Amino acid sequence: MFGKRIDYAGAVGFIVFMAALPLVFGGNYLIGVLTVSVIYGIWAVSWDFMSGLTGRENFGHSLFIGVGAYTAGFLNTAFGFGGWWSLPAAMVMAMLFAVIIGLPTLRLKGPYFALAMLSGAVIMQRLMLIFWEQTGGEEGINGIEPLIRSQLGFYYFALAALVLVTALLLALARSHWGLILRAIRGDEATCQAAGINVTFYKIASLVISAAFAGAGGAIYAHYQLQVSPQLFAVVTSITIITMVYVGGMASIYGPVGGAILLVLLTELLREFGEWRLMIYSCTLILILFFVPHGLIAPTWRRFRSKLRRAQ
Amino acid sequence: MSALLEVSALNKHFGGLHAVKDVSFSMAAAEIVGILGPNGAGKTTLYNLLTGFIPADSGSIVFNGRTLRGLAPYRIAGLGISRTFQLCRPFVGMTVLENVIVGGLGAQAGERGDLEARALALLEKVGLSGKEQLLVELLSYGDQRRLEIARALAARPALLLLDEPFAGLGSGEITDLSALIRSVHAEQGLTVMLIEHKLHEFMRLVGRVIALDFGEIIAEGSPEEIVRHPKVIEAYIGRGDEQAEEQADAA
Amino acid sequence: MLEILIHGAVSSAIYAMLAVGFTLIFGVARILNLAHGSFYALGAYGAYFFTSHLKLPLLPAALLAMAVVALFAIVVEKVLVRPMRRSQLAVLMITLAVALVVEQALFLTFGSEYRNVPAFVDAKFSIGGVDVGGQRLLALGASIALIALLWIFIQRTRLGSAILAVSQDPEAADYMGIPSDRIFSIVMGLSAALAAAAGVLAGPFLTVQPTMWLLPIVKAFAIVIVGGLGSIPGSILAALMLGYAETIVGYLISTSWTEIVSVLATLLMLIFRPAGIFGKRAAF
Ligand SMILES: Nc1ncnc2c1ncn2[C@@H]1O[C@H](COP(=O)(O)OP(=O)(O)OP(=O)(O)O)[C@@H](O)[C@H]1O
Ligand SMILES: [Mg+2]
Repeated sequence: MFGKRIDYAGAVGFIVFMAALPLVFGGNYLIGVLTVSVIYGIWAVSWDFMSGLTGRENFGHSLFIGVGAYTAGFLNTAFGFGGWWSLPAAMVMAMLFAVIIGLPTLRLKGPYFALAMLSGAVIMQRLMLIFWEQTGGEEGINGIEPLIRSQLGFYYFALAALVLVTALLLALARSHWGLILRAIRGDEATCQAAGINVTFYKIASLVISAAFAGAGGAIYAHYQLQVSPQLFAVVTSITIITMVYVGGMASIYGPVGGAILLVLLTELLREFGEWRLMIYSCTLILILFFVPHGLIAPTWRRFRSKLRRAQ
Repeated sequence: MSALLEVSALNKHFGGLHAVKDVSFSMAAAEIVGILGPNGAGKTTLYNLLTGFIPADSGSIVFNGRTLRGLAPYRIAGLGISRTFQLCRPFVGMTVLENVIVGGLGAQAGERGDLEARALALLEKVGLSGKEQLLVELLSYGDQRRLEIARALAARPALLLLDEPFAGLGSGEITDLSALIRSVHAEQGLTVMLIEHKLHEFMRLVGRVIALDFGEIIAEGSPEEIVRHPKVIEAYIGRGDEQAEEQADAA
Repeated sequence: MLEILIHGAVSSAIYAMLAVGFTLIFGVARILNLAHGSFYALGAYGAYFFTSHLKLPLLPAALLAMAVVALFAIVVEKVLVRPMRRSQLAVLMITLAVALVVEQALFLTFGSEYRNVPAFVDAKFSIGGVDVGGQRLLALGASIALIALLWIFIQRTRLGSAILAVSQDPEAADYMGIPSDRIFSIVMGLSAALAAAAGVLAGPFLTVQPTMWLLPIVKAFAIVIVGGLGSIPGSILAALMLGYAETIVGYLISTSWTEIVSVLATLLMLIFRPAGIFGKRAAF
């Protein structure tokens, strides 16, 4: 199909562009910004897979990120495991938390899940401060080893992880599994009437979403070489949600673009310093009001149908 | 003749309201049974009990030799009972074709076959071909009703429960839809139960009628018997339900 | 023992003031207001600003703060929330965004350092040998009085019965000619004023800083889960339970563990009795 070929071409173009950027412009500063943007990309797609597709908004994605990052930090510093153990361990821990929160809340109708995630993240952040003797408190955990010593190498690793996660989640989202998740968003009762175990699908997709968020958290920990309670902050979750909204909810690939775009724009906003978060929150309100379907995915769809018509 | 569905002494209270009261009946395979009753008689509640959407207070439901009480709705659907809703509840945000495909996804993996081809065939059958790629929200009300039935059929049910499938349709549409129900019944030996207010179409379609009032079965029998049944006449006419009265007369 | 009794009552009272408003606007308008904690923060900051910058005496400053916050809440509901009401998610998003804007606005104007809200009562009282700050006792008394007033208002006045009618069946209320939009505004204002009052009263003995909205919203959430979403008596009872549970845990184990109490309470309730202690499930 022609449409599919355009999609593949777009994906390849995006990967080549992202890979070439640091080679063309160079500089560790740019590489650093790009690495962060790519990690945000992982968080944004993983959010979109569960919340975008099923419509159950997760206001505490930072919970999984923080759990993944702290798991990496503890394993690497306190227990002396090599850096690569962090990824699977972070995924498992994040999945565990997803089950603990998802099991009681996702079987209920209503806003319980959204609120439980928000509360969970807030409480985890508090716990990191309260049990400072174990967690390092405000300072967090320092002295985490890098996964890859070369800056550029680390960036390519993170980019590869993003591509892998996005490809996997896109494939899932376009399979029957994704169809079911979208149907859950459409009408839960009808799903049940169609013989679909709604609770299972919601929890399973939360677990998948958490696994990748946790992995992203671990990658972030090994990039920053330290973790702090700030990772659990609500602001992190809201930033991710804003990225998804900008990218286009439920499109999976859109949020990747949203994340990269917003991280780069945020760098440009650096001179506004303290005003950054204010600008962010106001942007979110404006987007909710005026472009609820987002910018990136709809633009891409329009471009694709134009090409198809031209063909 | 062993029964496909055997309901006995089913009860449901909503607070002080006895919405379904000691309801017992059975259905044989390949029957078409109509459920008749004035507004608030408990018809939809009966469906909700049968499909597990609402837990029953007491009584038993046996389908194909299996006890259904206490099973989750998706499990009951998996055993071969499909239902439609009184108010259309399509999967919004999805295309017509996707809606029907999802309808078939709950069935066991082995029975799936080529879901897309089957969905297309079903859409053709219910008269929605050409509209496969439309978003459901854009369908007319009549088309949404048809889609609802296609979605329910996609699960390859043994028993199909229709909740007022003709509500809000014009007479031409009703004739089409009746023909559709009759044809799936004839082709696949599907057992059908339907709730309806419009007696006219309903009477020609169903082989047997169960009349409910205040949650109780007040009469059961062939359509001809039911329209003459004094309790049914009282339930409709005694409460001045003019439309029903007219139609009971017409029948 | 007496210490637990008194301090538990004080924290319960503050929680109740927050949770009652939170559950009220949900019960009436089905608005799950994540900006509710912001009203509490704005109340505290309002009292601080009006006393220290405008040099107003405390009582007018407190009343002014409550009025301003109520007005702000009404505007937020009208301009931002109402157009989004058809989608529960959009409401959650927009109210959360408002909460962040408020937090940032407070941060940009007042900075992140702690601010002092003056106390109405500076004296300490000794009750049965237990020293209690006068402000805490005042907070307890005022909270009981305000909630009682709200209760009487809802049960005894025409406007109150209109609010009840809308909360029980918005459609039927519509048929009866009750202007539900106006009711939403009023309830939003009331619940915000109550939250602001909590901020003014608790401000002197709590830390007043821009992120102070966050933990209260988590507590309010735990309370309404335990009490049942939309139920006022339920949330008062649940506030008592949580307030005392936290105080007891704080005394017996350590204050570090108090935060765990609300999490555990929430989780256990969701697992075993999601409809709340009184079992009245809010229709969604
Ligand atoms: N979930 C519920 N909670 C409380 N009461 C309910 C519930 N569902 C139905 N009822 C009540 O039970 C009674 C029977 O309702 P039901 O929907 O079964 O009637 P019906 O026969 O389908 O009527 P209609 O022809 O209007 O569809 C009604 O009085 C209704 O208000
Ligand atoms: Mg009905």
